[in-house]
Amino acid sequence: MHQVSPAGRDLRLDFFRGLSLWFIFLDHVPSNIVSWFTVRNYGFCDASEVFVFISGYTAAFVYGRVMKERGFVIGAARILKRAWQIYVAFVFLLVFYFAEIAYVSSHFSNPLYTEEFGIFDFFQKPDVVLIEALMLRFLPANVDVLPLYIVLMTFFPPVLWLMLRKPDFVLLGSIAFYFVAKVFDWNLVLYPYDHSWFFNPFAWQLLFVIGGWCALGGARRISPLINSRPVLALCVLYLALAAPLQLSWLFPGITGRLPGWLMILPLDKTGLSGWRLFHFLAIAILVIRFVPFDAKFLRSNWARPLILCGQHSLEIFCLGVFLSFSAHFVLTEVSSLIAMQIFVSFVGIAVMVTAAALMAWYKDVERRGGKPPPSATQEGFEGVTAS
Amino acid sequence: MRTFSVPLLLVLLAASPYAAADDCDVPDNLVETFARLPHVDLSAKHDHKLEILVLSAAPKLSGEASTLKSYPYYLESELRERLKGVDVHVFAQSEPRKTIVEVAKDLPRFLSERQPVLVIWQTGTVEAMRGIDPDGYGRALDAGVAALQRGGADVILVNQQFSPRTDFMFDGAPYTENMRWVSQTRDIPLFNRYEVMKYWGETGAFDLTALKNDGTYEKVHRCIGRLIADLVIRAASLSGTVER
Repeated sequence: MHQVSPAGRDLRLDFFRGLSLWFIFLDHVPSNIVSWFTVRNYGFCDASEVFVFISGYTAAFVYGRVMKERGFVIGAARILKRAWQIYVAFVFLLVFYFAEIAYVSSHFSNPLYTEEFGIFDFFQKPDVVLIEALMLRFLPANVDVLPLYIVLMTFFPPVLWLMLRKPDFVLLGSIAFYFVAKVFDWNLVLYPYDHSWFFNPFAWQLLFVIGGWCALGGARRISPLINSRPVLALCVLYLALAAPLQLSWLFPGITGRLPGWLMILPLDKTGLSGWRLFHFLAIAILVIRFVPFDAKFLRSNWARPLILCGQHSLEIFCLGVFLSFSAHFVLTEVSSLIAMQIFVSFVGIAVMVTAAALMAWYKDVERRGGKPPPSATQEGFEGVTAS
Repeated sequence: MRTFSVPLLLVLLAASPYAAADDCDVPDNLVETFARLPHVDLSAKHDHKLEILVLSAAPKLSGEASTLKSYPYYLESELRERLKGVDVHVFAQSEPRKTIVEVAKDLPRFLSERQPVLVIWQTGTVEAMRGIDPDGYGRALDAGVAALQRGGADVILVNQQFSPRTDFMFDGAPYTENMRWVSQTRDIPLFNRYEVMKYWGETGAFDLTALKNDGTYEKVHRCIGRLIADLVIRAASLSGTVER
């Protein structure tokens, strides 16, 4: 990704972010057979890593340029505005989540699920739950990656300021912070105060910073290393070993028993286990090596739906979460047959692509109209401008 | 990935034929285990008795539902039916809404009170609903299983059930993964209730989405009791010897 020039947009970022958005949607539809296609089944890391890394990359790339050209204050303001937009998106999704829970809780009395009724206990005190949710201390499942972004973006301005001057220093600091947080078991606490964030921001900041470091010239400086044969061989070997290990996990009966020293699964996702991190880095290195900046397929028609989704990532992420709720609703109310799971998966992706295409079309119309497009809609998830 | 996944999908599609209604059958790969239950084996063959404890954090059924029979009941009648000459007792110990850390404290008491040779430990639901750290859950479960094994009991883990209507509200998968890790390192069976029930839901064997009481409760629990009985008999190598 080191070939990025300020003038050209790296379509690989959009492509893979679009792909991770599709995967996140498919994985979020509960018990969906189509999620067999997603990356998490074939290795240690999943779409979350791809997403956090690319977001760190684009945030540093875009806001780094703003900060360099227009100063710290303007750059910081743009970053905080983005954090605010993500917060609003989070609250928007929260409303859908609470609506579905409220519906189920008031109609549901099947004794088969008496144990699961416990989830409604939280909503006995709506005042407390709503306030805790607005303060990011009550995070529903499937939406919890957004609060991670809010926190990462809120603290990003000083990090970026330092990163523009001493990138390696920031990277080392981030690595040190990751280990210190691990040793002292730091995480943010959640209501009702006996558990903590599913995406531990003290751990996941590392991937965000690695992304930013790569965007600000780090990838270029280490390109001789990541293109060297031993490193490539190591990456291939690591991925080749991870795939059967992860697959064996899904077929406990077929593969039988593994020796004790291979029992590294399940890997800690909350604390971004090193196995997961290295798995993602291995994939990233191979992608940089084998998918050139100007790869032909990136401009082909079949890559276009993915790229469109990747270019509107905040909107498409939110839409994806909303669609996963809807898909779940259809699977429980209409039918949960496998054919239906495949059907709702394809419809969901089609809706995501259509929405992204409409947004791109609207942006284009606005631009041709001669008026500058409103800045809020011009930006991707981390403010990647389309121009 | 595509070249690999399309055949995989076809295999999965082919492996899930429509089951007849009220049929407990599931594909073998959902219920097979490599682990053994030596204490159960010994107790059934030599002492001709089986003291089984079913431990769960499920609340008691209330109102009209309080007379419904659950899987411990069906497990007991199934084992009594199939293991003639063996005195089978299944006792259901419920610790409503308690997390694993709270339940683990009481394990020595359960062991001394009932002296079970087998503990069927249903866990993971409360922890998933409350979002307890899955890693910490795995460690607590591992310690709990070790304590039960030291106390002379075999253990079968039972994970959360498949509840389509609440599926999107909390994610039980990380807890099942940790249970699988404990089951492999401690060499004990894991009865994957979630996958089994999901199979029934997907094949239409049972309608698991009803909002009200529609009589599915006892049908599902009878099947779970029967499948766990199968698992006990297989893992303790009781078929053919004690079994009728």
